[in-house]
Order: sequence, then structure tokens, then C-alpha cells
Amino acid sequence: MSRHRHWLEKLIPAPKTNDDYGCNITREYRRFSRGLSIILLILVLAPLTLVSVLAHYQYENLLQEEEQDQLVLNLEEAQLTIEHYVSELQSVIQFVARDDRYEELLDPKKLEALFVRLKSEYPGFADIEVIDSNGRQKTYFGNYSLGEQDYSNQIWYKKVMLQGLYISSVFSGFRDVPHFVIAVSRKHPEKEDLWVLRVTIDGKTLQHFIDTIRTSYSDDMFLVDSEGITTTQPLKYGKIGEICIFHRIAGEEEKTFVSKMSSGITIVKKTVGNQKVNHAVASLVNAPWKLVLIKEQYLHASSWTQFKIKLITMFLTCVVIAIFVIIEISTAITTHLRVSDKKRQQLYSEAEHSNKLASIGRLAAGVAHEINNPLSIINQKTGLVQDFMEFSGDFEHKEAMAEALAGIQSSINRCKTITHRLLGFARHTDVETEELDVNSLLREVIDFLAREATYNQIRIDFDLDLDVGKIMSDRGPLQQVFLNITNNAIDAIGDHGTIVLSSRKVDQKSILIKIADDGPGMSTEVQERIFEPFFTTKETGKGTGLGLSITYGLVRKLGGDIKVISELGEGTTFKITLPVQQSE
Amino acid sequence: MSMPTVLIIDDEVEFASTLCQRLKLRGMATVDVHSGVEGLDALKKMNPDIIILDLKMPDMSGLDVLEKIKELDSTIEVIMLTGHGSAGSGVEAKKRGAFAYVMKPLDIAELMAIIESAHKKRGKG
Repeated sequence: MSRHRHWLEKLIPAPKTNDDYGCNITREYRRFSRGLSIILLILVLAPLTLVSVLAHYQYENLLQEEEQDQLVLNLEEAQLTIEHYVSELQSVIQFVARDDRYEELLDPKKLEALFVRLKSEYPGFADIEVIDSNGRQKTYFGNYSLGEQDYSNQIWYKKVMLQGLYISSVFSGFRDVPHFVIAVSRKHPEKEDLWVLRVTIDGKTLQHFIDTIRTSYSDDMFLVDSEGITTTQPLKYGKIGEICIFHRIAGEEEKTFVSKMSSGITIVKKTVGNQKVNHAVASLVNAPWKLVLIKEQYLHASSWTQFKIKLITMFLTCVVIAIFVIIEISTAITTHLRVSDKKRQQLYSEAEHSNKLASIGRLAAGVAHEINNPLSIINQKTGLVQDFMEFSGDFEHKEAMAEALAGIQSSINRCKTITHRLLGFARHTDVETEELDVNSLLREVIDFLAREATYNQIRIDFDLDLDVGKIMSDRGPLQQVFLNITNNAIDAIGDHGTIVLSSRKVDQKSILIKIADDGPGMSTEVQERIFEPFFTTKETGKGTGLGLSITYGLVRKLGGDIKVISELGEGTTFKITLPVQQSE
Repeated sequence: MSMPTVLIIDDEVEFASTLCQRLKLRGMATVDVHSGVEGLDALKKMNPDIIILDLKMPDMSGLDVLEKIKELDSTIEVIMLTGHGSAGSGVEAKKRGAFAYVMKPLDIAELMAIIESAHKKRGKG
């Protein structure tokens, strides 16, 4: 746990706070903000990226499976259709080659009639011939009469004699046009021999058939024979009669699908030029052909690429938005933290300041009290010497001595003023409260100073809120507070200026008095020390530096608060907050 | 106008004796004592017109001594001395019958004026 915390603290360092709000502190907050941003970015972007990548791969796999399923379905359908077609042809031929028709079919006219009938149903039939048990052509009808042929040595003949049915590959043969052959063997009605009915079907029929069943799903579909030679014209890939181009290309990820409907479909991924395709092959049950379906892999097709571009664009947009929002949030949090830190620091400084003032006050009172007694004795002794001199006759240096004693007396008086003020600043008397009209009190105080102000050509304005009403406070100290501050304002202005005294009700519990002058103002440094005892900006001997510290002490004693706002060249405003009721 | 007899009660010996000397120089019969108890004794012996009484003393507070004095002879005028300059204590002393209060370090002229008016009030001045 502690290690985690250590790790986290390194990443998000807590800003150090002190009185100096200089560049170092700004850097600390910036580091904090940066750390926070990084953590939030990781928290947001890591799951987003992970989910996106996983979803992408999952979807890709799903698509591939779906695509292959679709391919299998399409090919299966086409395979069944062709198989059905071939088996229909086969049935027709088997039907017309009934055993007892041998003699009848030896008659060329009857063969012709049969052929015409068949052709009307199946226009692809090219010719028909009857072959005897020796492999010799007995009758023939068609466009490619090549004379009496002897098929006895041909493999197909042997096969048909053995198996009863033969379906050839598509070949050109004697006719020199692509065709295929369906041959059936039958028993001779009278002899034990077999005879053969052989029908040649134009290769174009097959082509036409393939063209019909080729769906929009497939990019290409064609038939190949057992040697891999294309027997129908492919649309894009290769030429009829040539070795199928996919035959030579090695593939990857070979998958075989076997179902009840088909004998088995093999799908292999292959690359032709730049194109990646699925090469699906299905063997036909009743013919020596293979049906080939070619389909460009969806994952390499432009629509998938476009989809991926859209996906990546969306992802990047999310990332950009997340970064933007996180940076904004981090900045907001840091600013908030900084403001509250600053406020806390200010409160702390203020508390420290008033604590310091209170301590100084107590110390000053103690010192004053201790000094006051010996001072009284010095005073009395000096007075006594002066008395003796007064009551005795002339003597040498009497005048000089009298002068020296007067000097001592004057210094004693100065010390007396100081000790009295110090004692006043810290005295612990109870506040004697009475109901006071603050507005009237302000006017009364100004009456004392009106002459001096007029003499210095200083205008005193009032901006008094009648709602302020009456408060419970101590008249004497409050008068002294207003008097001290206004007096200071007059001193600060010198001559030609304005002092504005205003009152306002803050809430049910407190009121605010403002005494503002348009004098020279004070620097921040002076403002910080203004309430400290013995701090004065006046010339030596002119001010004791106690006026405002006494004022401060009095305001605090009355349960209020005093603040100074000032700017050099702009003037100074003292804000005095006073409670409406004195707390017990 | 006869000069008043003055009793000074202050625990600060130097202060009390010097003030005593100064008042004597001005023709007043003056005695100084340095505690509340001594003060009350002296009061019985010398019967002064005016008592100058320090507010803060170690054995008895000035206010207590004041009360006792007033119990013994309410016509004696008491001038309180205070080192605090505390209006509160001064006001309190006046409530309890003191004639006036003077802050230390005191001004002899001011004190003389107060003594004079106190003496007048007592009807001897």
C-alpha cells in the first residue's frame, strides 16, 4: 500500500505551499496538474484502447467466419444445382436407352426423331450415337459426323462397359469444340452383349448454366476437371482449357467443411497479384468436375478498409476529446486546489499575524507596566530636585541645571505617553456595551477633526446606510478607532484630498464601516506590518507607531475585525467589521 | 487657607517618600506608609484630610483599603493612584467613593490642583 502511495506521489506530487507564490510554486502546481493528467489519461485511454483493439479483432474473426459460412452456403447451393442438372441429363439418357430400344435406335430415322425430341427439351445436345458391344458406332445423328468410329480402345468406352454410366470431362476431341459426353451401357435384348448410347453435350450449355447460377456474392465461379483444367470460362481468373491459375498458387489456412448436402468443400486463402481471395472448391458427386468459387476476402476489400478508417477516426476523435477534457479537468482541479491553498495560507497568515500582535501586545503591556513604576520614581525625583531648586536661592549653574531637569521631565513625559498607549493597547478591561448609532458616532468623530481637515483642504464625505441601525458596542473605544483611522488618513493625504466614510449592513449579525482616502497609498510590505506596534512610516519623533496597533486591539476587543486595502498612488481603505450584538 | 494633612499609601517606597517630601516642601503635613495595613493604622493615629492611595499593592488592593477608609471616616477624601491608566479601575474607585484618580507617572501640578479641590470639598480649604 505504502509502495503504491509512494509511486502515486512520485507521479502526482502534492504541491508544497509557503508564503512565496513565486515561480517555484507555479512549477509545483504544474507538475501536479501534469501528473494528474497522465493518470487520468491512462485510466481513460488504456481501457478504451484495449476494448477497441479486442473488439476489432473479435469482429474481424467473426467476419471471417461469417464470410466462410456464406461462401460454403453459396458453393453448396451451386454444387447441388449442377449435380441436379447432371443427374437430370443422366436420367433422360438412361430413360431413352431402355434395353429393348436397341433395334429401334439402329434406325437412323428413329434416332433422328429421338434426337429432335430431346433437343427440343435440351438445346445443348450436340449429337447422339449408338455403339455396339464391339465399340463400333452403329448409328449417329448430329452435326459432327466423323464416319464410323471405333471406340473399343478408348478408356471412356471401357469405363462405360464396366460401370454402366460415364460422364466425361469437357474436352474438344474430334469435334474441336468443347463438349462433354454422357454415355450409358445397356444389355442387348437378345444377346448377352452390352450396347452403348452416347450423347454429346455442347460445352456452352455448361457455360450457360454456370453463368446462370453465378451469384453476385461470388467474384468468379467455374468448373475444373480432375487435372485442374478450367472447363468453363472464368470471369476474371484465367481462360477455359488452361490449367486453373489457383492450381499453382499455394494457399494458407486450409479449411474443409463437410455437410449432409455436399461431399466436402475446401476453402483456402490465396493471393493473386495484390488481391487476397478465398478459393473454395467443391467436388461434384456425379461428374468428374470440381466447382470453384472465388471471392475476394472481405477483410482486404475496400469496404472493410473504409470501415476501419472510420473506426480509427472515431477512436482518434475519442482520444482527442478525452485528452482535451482531461487537461481541462486537471487544470480546473489544480486551479481550485491552488485557490484553496492560497486561501488557507492567507487565513493561516492572518491567524499568525493576529497571534503575533496579541503576543507583542502582552509583552508590550508587561514592559510598559514594569517601566511605568521606575518612570514614576524618576519623575518624582526629578520633580523633587526641581522643587529644591525652586525653593532655594541662586547658585552657580542653576539655570543650566533647571534646563537639564526640564529636558529630563520632557523625556519622562514622552515615555509616559508611550507607556500609557501601550497599556491602553493591551489592557484587559471589560467592554462596556451600550446601544449605539454608528452613523451618528461617525459624524461626532468627524466633528473633532473637521477643523483640521478644512485647514488642510481635505473634504470629508459620508456615504452612510440608514439600514445599519443601532449596534451594541463600547462608545469610547469605537470613537478612538474611528478617530485614529481618520486622523491617519488626514496625515497620509497631507493636503488636498478626500476622505469617504461609509457604513453598510453586511447581514443580521454584522456591519461594515469603510474609511477610504485618496492619499498616496502603501506598499504591500507596509500593509503587512501596519498593525504592528512601533511600526511607523512617519518621521522619527512624530509618530509612536502605536496608533493603528491600539486601533487593531480595540476592534478585536469589540469582537470585530479590521483590514487594510491599499495600492500605491491609489489611496487606502480601512474596512472595519463590527458585530451588531456583543457576544457573551 | 490651612494646608491639608496628607497620608500617602503606596508600596513603592521611593515613590511614596519622594512624593511625601515634595508635598512637605509645599507646606503640607504629609506622612507616607507602604502597605494597606500600615495605612489604616496611620489613619487612626493622624486623622488626615486627604489620602493618596495606590490602587495596586501586595497585601490589600487599593479598592479594599478605600472601602475600609470610607467605613472608618467617610469624610476623608481619597485620591487614587494608578499605574495602569485603566479607566475601568478609576471609574470603579470613584463609584466606591474616591474623589479622583491620577495616573502614574503623575504631574505634581495636576495633583496639587486635585488636592486643593478635594480640600475645598472637605470644607477646610
